[in-house]
Parts: sequence; C-alpha cells; structure tokens
Amino acid sequence: MSAFWLTYLPVAIILSSLLPGLIIFTLKEQQVKLRISLNLLGVTVKLVLVLIMWQAVKAGDIFYFSLPFLPGADLVLQGDALSLLFVVLSSVLWLATTVYAIGYLENSPLRSRFFGYFSLCVSATVGLALSGNLVSFLLFYELLTLATFPLVVHRGTPQSLAAGRRYLAYTLSGGVLLLTGIALLHSVVQSPQFIPGGYVSAAVSEHAGLLTLAFALMIGGLGVKAALLPLHGWLPQAMVAPAPVSALLHAVAVVKAGAFGIIRLVYDVFGVDGMQQLQLAQPLMLLAAATILFGSWRALAQQDIKRRLAYSTISQVSYITVGVAMLGPLAAVGGLVHLVHQGVMKITLFFCAGNYAETLGVHKIRELNGAGRRMPLTSAAFTLAALGMIGIPPTAGFISKWYLGLGAVATDNSLMLMVFVLSGLLNAGYFLPIVYRLWFLPQRGSWPKEQRLSATLETHWMLLLPMLFTAVLIILMGLFASTGVSPLSWAQLIVEREFSYD
Amino acid sequence: MIIMLLVLPLLSALLMLLWPRVAPLLALFSASSSSLLALQLLVQVTEHGSRSWLLAGWPSGLAIAWQADTLSCLLILLTTVLQLLVGFYAFATRNRDKLSQGFWPLSSLLQVSLTALWLSRDLFNLYVCLELLGLVAVALVSLSGRSAMKPALNYLLLSLFGSLCYLLGVVLLYGRYGLLDIAGLASQWQADWLSNSALLLMSLGLMLKAALWPLHAWLPAAHAAAPAPVSALLSALVVKGPLFILSLLWLQLASVQQAQAIAPLFAAAGLAALLFGGWSALRTPFAKNLVAYSTVAQLGYVTLALGLMLKFDQPLIFAALWLFVLAHALAKAACFLAVGEMSATLGGKRLTTLKGASQTMPLAMFAFAVAGGSLIGLPPSGGFVAKWALLQGLWLQGELLFWPLALVLATLLSAAYVFRVVVVAFDRADPVSPDFSPQLIPQWLALLPALAVWAMALFSETLMQLLRLEAL
Amino acid sequence: MTELSGSLLLFLITAASLVAAGVYGFIIGPEPLRRILALNIISAGIFMLMVVLAYRGYDGEATADPVLQALVLTGLVVAVSATAFGLTLLARLKPSSSEISAPEEPEQ
Repeated sequence: MSAFWLTYLPVAIILSSLLPGLIIFTLKEQQVKLRISLNLLGVTVKLVLVLIMWQAVKAGDIFYFSLPFLPGADLVLQGDALSLLFVVLSSVLWLATTVYAIGYLENSPLRSRFFGYFSLCVSATVGLALSGNLVSFLLFYELLTLATFPLVVHRGTPQSLAAGRRYLAYTLSGGVLLLTGIALLHSVVQSPQFIPGGYVSAAVSEHAGLLTLAFALMIGGLGVKAALLPLHGWLPQAMVAPAPVSALLHAVAVVKAGAFGIIRLVYDVFGVDGMQQLQLAQPLMLLAAATILFGSWRALAQQDIKRRLAYSTISQVSYITVGVAMLGPLAAVGGLVHLVHQGVMKITLFFCAGNYAETLGVHKIRELNGAGRRMPLTSAAFTLAALGMIGIPPTAGFISKWYLGLGAVATDNSLMLMVFVLSGLLNAGYFLPIVYRLWFLPQRGSWPKEQRLSATLETHWMLLLPMLFTAVLIILMGLFASTGVSPLSWAQLIVEREFSYD
Repeated sequence: MIIMLLVLPLLSALLMLLWPRVAPLLALFSASSSSLLALQLLVQVTEHGSRSWLLAGWPSGLAIAWQADTLSCLLILLTTVLQLLVGFYAFATRNRDKLSQGFWPLSSLLQVSLTALWLSRDLFNLYVCLELLGLVAVALVSLSGRSAMKPALNYLLLSLFGSLCYLLGVVLLYGRYGLLDIAGLASQWQADWLSNSALLLMSLGLMLKAALWPLHAWLPAAHAAAPAPVSALLSALVVKGPLFILSLLWLQLASVQQAQAIAPLFAAAGLAALLFGGWSALRTPFAKNLVAYSTVAQLGYVTLALGLMLKFDQPLIFAALWLFVLAHALAKAACFLAVGEMSATLGGKRLTTLKGASQTMPLAMFAFAVAGGSLIGLPPSGGFVAKWALLQGLWLQGELLFWPLALVLATLLSAAYVFRVVVVAFDRADPVSPDFSPQLIPQWLALLPALAVWAMALFSETLMQLLRLEAL
Repeated sequence: MTELSGSLLLFLITAASLVAAGVYGFIIGPEPLRRILALNIISAGIFMLMVVLAYRGYDGEATADPVLQALVLTGLVVAVSATAFGLTLLARLKPSSSEISAPEEPEQ
C-alpha cells in the first residue's frame, strides 16, 4: 500500500459517511432503494477502510494528515490506537443502527433528511475520534452538536422542539466552555498533536493556575456531552427522539464523544504526570463517582423505559471517566473497554425499547408484563444486555467492571470500590424488575398499540437483526475477551502505549 | 487598474440610466469584471506592498491622497464579490419580487462609493464618499415602496446629521492644521482641545452612521424595510464604511493618550451593543428585524475589538477586528438573502411564518443556519477565526477574565437568537405552506456566501498574517 | 486658529450660532420637514465657518485659501442634492401617511 493511501486514509474514513450523507440530502423521498444502497455502501466502505487502518495501527503505524488552519494549530487527523477504538465502535454500531433505522422509519416522512443528518452525525463522531489535536477536536465536537440537533427534533412535535432547545442550550454552552478552555490552553502551550504523556508538563510549574482553569473549563465543556452531574439535564429530555437516534446518541455519538474527549484530555494533553502534579484527577473522579450514584438512583424512580435507560446511561458513562481518572493502568483498561462494552450494551437496550414501542406500543415499564412470550427474541436480548449492565459474567459488562474493580484495588482506592458495589446493586435494582416483568408476570389485557410487522417473526426483521447482532456481540466480547481481536486486548494495547511513553 | 475599479461601475451606472433594459446585464458584467480586477489588485498589493498616490499628480496638500493597502484591497474584493452575488440574486428574483429598475444603477453607485471610500486617505474626500454612500443607501431602502418611506426618511435625516457632524470635525481640523490627508495630519498631530473636539465630533457622526450602540436605533427599521438584496448589501457593506473611517481616525491619527482615553468607551459600547442587540433579536417577532438586530450585535464585536485594539495595540486584535468585518459581511448577506427568500415564498414577515421551513425550503434554511453558525462563532467558520484571534490577543496581553467572559456571554446570546429561528423551522406540527413552489437558484445564491464564510477558515492563517502585518 | 479680525470674529460667532440653532432644531423637531430645514441650517453654518477660515490672515492682496473654497462648493452641491432627495422622500411619504387628517400645528 502506497504512502499516499496511508496519508489520506483518515480523510477517506470520514468521507465514506460524509459523501453518502450529502448525496442523500439531495434525494427525493421516494428514492428508497437508492438511499438504502447509498447508506449501506457507505457503511461497507467505511468498515473496510477501518479494517485496513486497524491492521496498520496494530503493527505500530500512526496515520497522520494535516491542513493549515489557525496559527499554531493545524487541522490534524491522526489514527492511533485510541482513536481507532472509538472509530471501530462507531463504524460497527453505525452499521447496526442504519439497518435498524431503515426498518424503524419505514414509510415515515422526511427520511432523506433523517438519513442525511444521521450520516453527518456519524462523520462528525468519526472525525472527532480521528482528530489529532484539540482544535480539530473542537471543530468536530461542534459539528456533532449541529448534526444531532435535527435528529433530536426530527419528529417536530412541541415536546421534541422543547427537548431540542434544551439540548442546544446545554451543548452550545458546553461548546463555548470547551472553546474557551482550548483557546486558553493554546495561549499557554499552543495546540500540538495529542501525544501519550501529554504536552503540558513543561508549563506546569510556571502556569499551574492557568492550566487548572483551562482543564476545568474543558471538563465543563466535555462534561455536558458526557452528562456529568450538574450538566446532565438534557439527556433524559432528548429521549423524545426516535429510537435509533436515542440509540446512537447514547451508545456512540454524543455521550461517548464527551467521554472520549475526557480520555484524550487526561492521557494525551495533560498526561498522567501532569494530572498528578496539578492534582486534577481526584476532583474529576469524585464528580464522576457522584454521577454514577446519582444516575443509578434516579433511574430507579423512572417509569418510562427510555427515561430509565437514559439515567442508566448517565451513570454508566461516568464509569469511563472514573476509570480514566484513577490514573492506574488497570483502571484505564477498564474505563477504555467500558467505552466499547457500554456502547454495545446500551445500543441493544435501546433497540429493544424501540422494538417494544414500535411493535406493541409499550412505553411504560408496567406495561411490559409478559412481553417475553409475545417477543421472546427481543426480551432475551434485553435480558442479556441488562445482565451485562449489572456486570454479571460471562457478559461484556463483567469484563469492564472487573478491570475497574482491579484498578481500584491496585490504586488502593476503597472509596471507588464501594461506589462500584453500590452502583452495581442499584443497577440490579432497576434492571431486574424489568426482566422479572418480561418473563414471569402474566400479560395485563391487550397491548396498547399492537402492530403485526411480520408474518412469521415477532417483529420486522430489520428491527430484529441489528439487535440480535449486538446482543451476540455482548456475549462474544465477554467470552473471547482474552483473544487478540477483543476490545479488551485492544484497550490493553492502548494502555501499554499510553503508560510507557518514556 | 484602480481607476478602472472606480470608473467601470460608474460608467455602467450611467449607461444603465440610458438603456434601462440591459441594466441587469450591465450590472452583472461590471460587478464580475470589478471582482476580477479587485482580486488582481489584492494579489499585486500583497506581493509588492501597498501603493499610495496623489490624484492627478498635484502637490501634497492640494491633491487628494489615495492608498491601496492589503486591507483596502480585501474590502474592495469583498464589496465587488458581494455586489456580484446580490446582483445574481436580484436578477434571479426580478420578476417575482418586482424589484424596481432603480436597483441596478443604485447598486453600481453603491459599489463606486464604497470602493472610493476604502481607497481614500483624505478626510474631505472621505466625507464625499460617505455622503454619497448614505444617499445611495437611503435611495435603495426607499425602493421597497411606500411602507419603506418612513424608515428611509428617518435614515436619511440621521445619516445627514451624522455626515454634518463629521464635516464639522473635518473643518475644525483643517482650520487647525491646514491639511486634509491623513498621513500628513498624523505627522503634525497634537492632542490639543481643538483636535480632541474635532475627533469626538467626527466619531459621533461616524458612530451614528455605522449604527454603533447607542446610536443604532435607526438601523433595524431601515434594514428590515428594504428589499432582501438591499438589506443584504446594507448590513454587509454599508455600515462598514463609516466604521472603516472611524478606525482610520483612531488608529492612525489619534495620539496614544487619546486612544487610551477613548478605548474603554468603545469597548463598553461594543459590549452594550452585543448584549442589547442580542436581547432585542431574541424579543422581536419579525424575521428580518431579528437579522437586523443581529447586525447591531455583531457590530458590537467590531466596536469591542476596536476599543481593545486602542487599549492594547496588539496586532492580533487588529486582525480580529477585520476578520469580524469580513465574516460578518458574508454571513449577514447569506442571512438576509435566506430570510428574504423564505419570507417571499412563505408569504409573511413574522418569524412564525418560517414554521416548518426546514421541510419546505431546506436549502434556504440551511443557508441561514450555516451563516448563523459563523455569527455564533462555531468552528471552522470565519466568525470562529475572528473570535479565536481576539481571545488569543487578549490573553497575550494578560487580560484573562473580564473580556473573555463577556465574549462567552455574547456568543451564547447569538446562539440563542440564531437557534430561535432554526427551532421554529423544525416545527413540523403545522408548517406554513409556500405561496408558490420554492425556487432553487435564489436559495443556492443565499447558501453561497454562507459556505464562503466557512471556507474563510481555510485561509485563516493567510488572512491573519496579512492583517497582522497591516497593523504594524 | 490664529488671530482673527473683528468682522471675521462676528462671522465666526454667526456660524457657530447657526450650527447650534440647527442642532437644536434637529433634535427638538419631530416634523421631518423641520428637521430637513434644520440640517440645512447646520450646513449653512459649517460652510460659513469654512469661508471664515478661508479668509483667515487675508490681507487684501493674496487670495483667500482656494482649497476651502473648493470644499465649500463641493459641500454645497452635496447638501443641495441631499436636501432635494429628502424632500422627494417626504413628498412621497405624505399621501400615504396616516396623520394626514391630523390638524395642522399652530405656527408658534
């Protein structure tokens, strides 16, 4: 493979979803086949390209592409191990969600617009994963906000508009905070590429105050998307969006963008040393721990399926932040691998919730009684994902929590250990009753709004297939965690590179 | 070549009066060839440095001084390109909107007066350009018909008053120094009471004409009343003329003490404009007024940057000032064209008529949103680059808290009013159906400057470099 | 501003009072016609000031400052055309204005 290809590979990965998206905008509503094939073509091309990059990065290459932008801050795309973790996650889940969305939105209006923005959203996410310095990160971070907004308000009802307003108010304020933080950091140390070990350590002694301020501003900005405690308010409201959107928002795009940004910030900008010298890790960790408990606690009280899942997301994403903020290699493995595992599990849960809503018209938890008989596959997938969220072996969730726990022990952090145990109990407390209702309680009357979407299957095959795919992934990632292709081994690779930069 | 830049539009304006039937073609021709000339001039000036000369070779003191530096050339290029674009838009919608024939010669005259203004470095000649600019602008506003007469008349009166204030200042300066060209004056400048009062008088007049807070009250009515292509020209270009003179006066003439003394006033006025304009844009029920108030707010950035530049004398802030001007011009042209197009098609002036516009007129709405992104300052748009430069400049000066905080607040306000429109457009409950099927070409023309302002970010390094050199 | 002879001082004071009166009229008067007139008075004041400055130091032999005279001429042209334009706008405004039935204001 020529060097030319290697340079432009990151760009090609972004374009593989951007171009189909832009073409889809111009399509007419009735051109369903063309639209679907464009979408799938984009997904396939992206997966192939990502595979090529994965091979190369595994062998130790780093991809690098830059355009001049601001003085001292080029627009840089960089394919390293960490970015690839997120790229693979978003590309695979994009595939699943695209299929699901095609089935979910069959015959609904404005699909061209929907799929157009959907592709833009994925492009922004992938761009964010591949961005090689803070300024490029900021750029894709804002683009992501803009691309998601039309998806959140897609239904155009007063509720979704209100949710959209709220979403914008939160994310744009966050974006401004992030911009201020990045600009402040830029004025101190410029914006070089992300590098393991960070690049601020030279300025720590001289500008400690400024660096701390910049860090706080940036965490404030990233925390909005990662739904850290006082900034989580938009997430439950954004549930009014169609199910594939919530799935994408929660599992991949928005929430993860925030979490991924925190990982980058901690490891590749400030670095473990910088974080220790400035004593920034402890407050971040406490904040994330509080978010874990708060999210779980609030989830208990929710009666709407999607809202319960939303609060669960708030809680689960903060595991990643905690894992990163503990600054130990084992905890880092746990946090990184949870980025992937949580994504797959949460997307399964949202697919299931969408299936219940679409097939049976069920939105409330108490209406789920006996749904296991009517929709066994969906309910099985839901059960599996719920068990994974609680952290029961042999699911993927167990692996990440195991490593987080190990990390807490290794860094002598008994407080976090308690948080994990408590939150695990709370998780069980809000997931198990649902599972119980699904399988063991009899059906109450007729379903609110039942539709026969398929003659033989419990629902439309396009709704079933992606969900089963991700559900199988949950098991596989758990069972084969020790093999070379698992997210776990990749996370270990990243941590190896991040922690041995000397 | 520079003479051609002035003569070509003037000549075509005259020809248009003779043959009104070919007026649109003439206007487009003159605008496109001037764009090419302007581009060539810009390249020449960046390569060989700025050129200054005296009109007709008369001795200094009698002759009128002109100067073509990078900034002037950039502004000329901006003017001609926007003229061309708006000309195309007016041409594409001429049958539907029944745009008066008067538009074509007037817009060419507008181009002449602006080009002359960017090039003049002579206080009295600047007055003449300013006056011509004001008269042409008012005439353009009045093209809308009877409903626009009242705002137009008000605009005219205030504009004349502003020019007279400026003229009085010029006369006082001439009485004191016996000179009119800026370079000559600057070399003999003394900060005595007469110069002070002259400078203040001139600034007052210019601020009135540039609609800087608190003298902005005439702008929203006038800009909202004008036809869409005219509003685009007014907001994008006309208000920048007096601003240019204002910056010349304070940055080149005034002594350090004078600049230091006035700096907080400008900065405070800019901040007030940002807050007040943003707030009014949030409150107004009319779509075009919203965009016009946004102009008031965005001019606040420019005033703020001017004030900070006077205070800190930091080249980056100077670059930020003109980046704001360039980005705002492109973005605002896109906004006015998009909103005008949507109002015309959906048939109403209220913001609520844009309900569901993301469905019915996706392109125009997209243009508005993209341009709005630059007004907010989202990366990678021109507005972002300007804001970035301003922030970096401030931090280089050790200004950590207050002004950056003010910028953040202003950004949020602008985001609020831009998305106020966007959210309405996504309302699917009860979309307003178009009076006739939406036309594509005008929507694309509205999108073009919006895309240009985002593309500006790609050239930001070069632009910043050029503008920074200009400040030294 | 160097030495001014007695008559020039008188002219100067007149010019200043014209400007002041014009500004006063412009700010006070809500009636557009009155404001147009006020603007004309201001410009008359400014032109007079220019003429005064042109004759500063004039000893009867050398010519008065030609630059200022040229400026006055240019200014006059601009002022007249602006006034004409304003009056046209006013004339077009009147028939459409809703205050057409409002009673005429008394002269004082």
